[in-house]
Amino acid sequence: MPLLEVVDMSHYFGGLRAVSNYNLNLDPGQITGLIGPNGAGKTTIFNLITGIHQPTKGIVRFDGRDIVGKKPNQIASLGIARTFQEMRLWRHMTVLDHIKMARYSNFSYGLWGAFLDSPRRNREEAQATELAMAYLTMFGVAQFADQLVVNLPYGAQRRVEMARAMVIEPKVLLLDEPTVGMTPDEMMAMIEVVRQAHQRFNLAIFLIEHRLRVVSELCQKVQALVFGEILVEGTPEEVQNNPQVIEAYIGEQEVEF
Amino acid sequence: MDETNAPKKGGGIQKITGRLFGSVPLLGYLLAFLACVLWELLAGEPLSRMLGLPQVPMFFGILTIFKVLAALVDYLLKDAPFNGAVLVQIPSALIYFMVIYFAPLVVVARLTVKPANLMARYLQRFPLAVSALFQLGLMYAIFHFWVEVSDYRLITLKLTLIAVLFTLSLNIINGYMGEFSCSHPGFMAIGAYMSSLFSIGLFFDNRILGEAVFHISMAYFTFPLALIFGGLTASAAALIVAIPSFKTRGDYLAIISLAFLFIVKSFLENMQSLGGSRGITGQPNWAALPVIFITVVIGVWFINNFVTSTIGKALNAVRDDEAAAEAMTVNTRKTKMVAFLFGAFWAGVAGGLLAHVMRFINPAMFGIQKLAEVLAMVYFGGLNSVYGSIVGAVSISLLGEALRPLEIFKWIVIPLLLILVMIYRPTGLIAFKEFNIRQIFGPKEVE
Amino acid sequence: MVGAYIGLGVALGLLALFGAGASAFLPGWVILVLTILISMFLTAFVGIIVERVGYRPLRDAPRASAAITGLMIGIILETANVLFLGGQRLKFPQLIKSVTYNIGGVFVTNKKIMIVLVSLALMLALHQFVTRTKWGMAMRAMAFDYVVVPLMGVPMNTIAAMTFAIGSALAAAAGILFGLAYPVLDPYMGVSFGWKAFVAAILGGRGSIMGACIAGFMLGFIEIMTVPAIQIVNRLFQLNIGSNLRDLIAYSIVLLILIFRPHGLFGQAYSAKLRL
Repeated sequence: MPLLEVVDMSHYFGGLRAVSNYNLNLDPGQITGLIGPNGAGKTTIFNLITGIHQPTKGIVRFDGRDIVGKKPNQIASLGIARTFQEMRLWRHMTVLDHIKMARYSNFSYGLWGAFLDSPRRNREEAQATELAMAYLTMFGVAQFADQLVVNLPYGAQRRVEMARAMVIEPKVLLLDEPTVGMTPDEMMAMIEVVRQAHQRFNLAIFLIEHRLRVVSELCQKVQALVFGEILVEGTPEEVQNNPQVIEAYIGEQEVEF
Repeated sequence: MDETNAPKKGGGIQKITGRLFGSVPLLGYLLAFLACVLWELLAGEPLSRMLGLPQVPMFFGILTIFKVLAALVDYLLKDAPFNGAVLVQIPSALIYFMVIYFAPLVVVARLTVKPANLMARYLQRFPLAVSALFQLGLMYAIFHFWVEVSDYRLITLKLTLIAVLFTLSLNIINGYMGEFSCSHPGFMAIGAYMSSLFSIGLFFDNRILGEAVFHISMAYFTFPLALIFGGLTASAAALIVAIPSFKTRGDYLAIISLAFLFIVKSFLENMQSLGGSRGITGQPNWAALPVIFITVVIGVWFINNFVTSTIGKALNAVRDDEAAAEAMTVNTRKTKMVAFLFGAFWAGVAGGLLAHVMRFINPAMFGIQKLAEVLAMVYFGGLNSVYGSIVGAVSISLLGEALRPLEIFKWIVIPLLLILVMIYRPTGLIAFKEFNIRQIFGPKEVE
Repeated sequence: MVGAYIGLGVALGLLALFGAGASAFLPGWVILVLTILISMFLTAFVGIIVERVGYRPLRDAPRASAAITGLMIGIILETANVLFLGGQRLKFPQLIKSVTYNIGGVFVTNKKIMIVLVSLALMLALHQFVTRTKWGMAMRAMAFDYVVVPLMGVPMNTIAAMTFAIGSALAAAAGILFGLAYPVLDPYMGVSFGWKAFVAAILGGRGSIMGACIAGFMLGFIEIMTVPAIQIVNRLFQLNIGSNLRDLIAYSIVLLILIFRPHGLFGQAYSAKLRL
């Protein structure tokens, strides 16, 4: 049974059709890619799956359970984590606090624990700090733990964002253009990071990317999305060489590394 | 790769004061201040008489100086009679300040560096509560002796402490949550009225509220209940602002909170059973300095615990990027709800304290004027910071009192000061700085 | 308030220059028009100074800081008024004779008709300016994204100054009209008006002039109508509700509207970034 299942999803923003008859089957441990020209609706699909919008039509199932209509924080707690294309970090927070914040739903000390500095709260906060440091070390940014995240270099910020998503201990990870703005070296490093995370945690990963190099390195299956509809689905080679995909992408092939 | 863009610290005068006083722990300052205050009780009166001052200066001499300046201004602008002899009070006041406060403070602080640090380190061996309570006790002793000089100091200190709690409670919503809430005087009003109802209505015969319900002998120990009752009702009312906050932010929420303020004020003005425009008088004199001190300390402690926990930092996450917070399992609705209700609770408690200090309340006290004052304190002191609220509340309160002789100029100086702060430090003097209790009460290591 | 006081000064000056009453050199209504125009012009300068001193340094700051600055500048202006002119109330001169018309049993004075007409005319003019001229377009662009706008060749400082000049001028006109209707001026006359204007502007929807216009009329209408409405309710149900519930009812309605239309009456549904 697929871990994440989307059946016949369509979404309209007012009169504008953003997504049409979209389907997805993501098995545990599988890495699937989503490519398509800008404005095709890729991020919208992410937003629909994670609950930011409720699809006008269609079913989204996670682990067999219907998750349409649940709030984004509930869906995240169930085990779907995501990163953002524009990297949404919290300007006034330290790196460590970013990672700890993603553990929000795991804290059980409640409001009274928060007000009263209870031993339970201190214990849980210490545990969360330990876990957060472990993840920061894993992603190579532990030395920045007490820095404000906005002071970090770009590549480090991207890693913090990924660590933040990972600390939820998700079963499914949605990555929205994880290598945007990176140099070729940083890109290869990021590919390695994703690969390691995948192997270590046996994650199912759903990945939006423009850079076909990243897609062909990481993905077992690729979907090509154009104007909200799936054009083609298959292995990276099949999709990359599909004439319709090339046509939709004309001009954008040139900028690949 | 390990380099960051964090701003570097430094500066000339900071280095000098750092070298001289960097290693003085809080305990050292407390001991020094205690010495000053006791010294003032002993030598204050004779010294001020010797210096030709009419009375012991109320606020370290600042008030005295402003009184003289006010008389001067009156003379220049309005041809009021001016006794040139009073000019000598200005240097006298300065001398008084140096002799009674500044010199002993500096001397004792410097001399006791080693023993103070030793003691602080010793206290660290016990649970934090021991060190904290000891030093808070010292702080209270300082206040106790300081106000013995005059009742004016007493009431100013009481009002300042209440302002600290009120400002901090607003900072939760405006600073940590990043909204622009104008409803806080409304919460304070509800707390003031409700706690008055509790203490007067239940225990006393009151012209407006009717006969007493219980006997007065049980009364005094129920003051905390009265405060909590005030706080809880304010919290309940906060739902009116909290629930719309799920859907709107920014300007619209500001207007909703402003509407709330006007509604509360209008409601209180029209409820004859609550005294209408004249309000309620006759609150029992239960708001003694220790009670206020303890309540404010508890409030600051609760609030600081909250904002340093991850659940509390969720307020910042919701402020800085709500969508990201939601994607990271943060329950944004609960977070917003807690921020408003918690902030309103402490505003209500502050209101209850205010009612029992002033011993009268009326709707006019909780209008636009109060809003402007508390907004000034929050934004002057600093957003998202316990330090900031304490500094802001104390500064603006004391400044307001000290400038009283200059009357109308007060309302030019304070706004001007605030504008300057807004231009050069838009988020306030001490913003975003974490209040680490362990660090504050602990020894200061020389770097 | 500033506008009203400047208007007072201008009107008195004009009256002194051109006489009043039977031997007037200029008819009253001409003086009125001149007063309004000159005061708008002068108050616009005050607005430009305020923008330069208080708002331009805070362009990159969180919006709350600018709001606080605005509040403080208002307090300073009021206090300065008290300092320089004393705290007494001043009387606004009667520039036109009051004529009452009886329209179907309702008594309306020519003053009130004129106030409504002038207000509508000014609001219409503002709407046209903001939607049809290139400066209006620049203003709206700056509200959306002021970082990109100067890159498109828009002189930001000029537009900002212009915005404040227009806003202040309109406020001055409002002040003078207010002075006509209620001829007693005092330094704090602008306070309750200012906050109500803020409420009306946001209630109408951020960025919508017509919305502000409608919301303003609505708010005024509600405020006035609650008094007879309460009287009717009292008579119908034999109650004795105080008629001072004006504010309470008006703002409760405002609250309800905002709960059901979170972006105001005609506001665009984009959320305000608080930029702390």
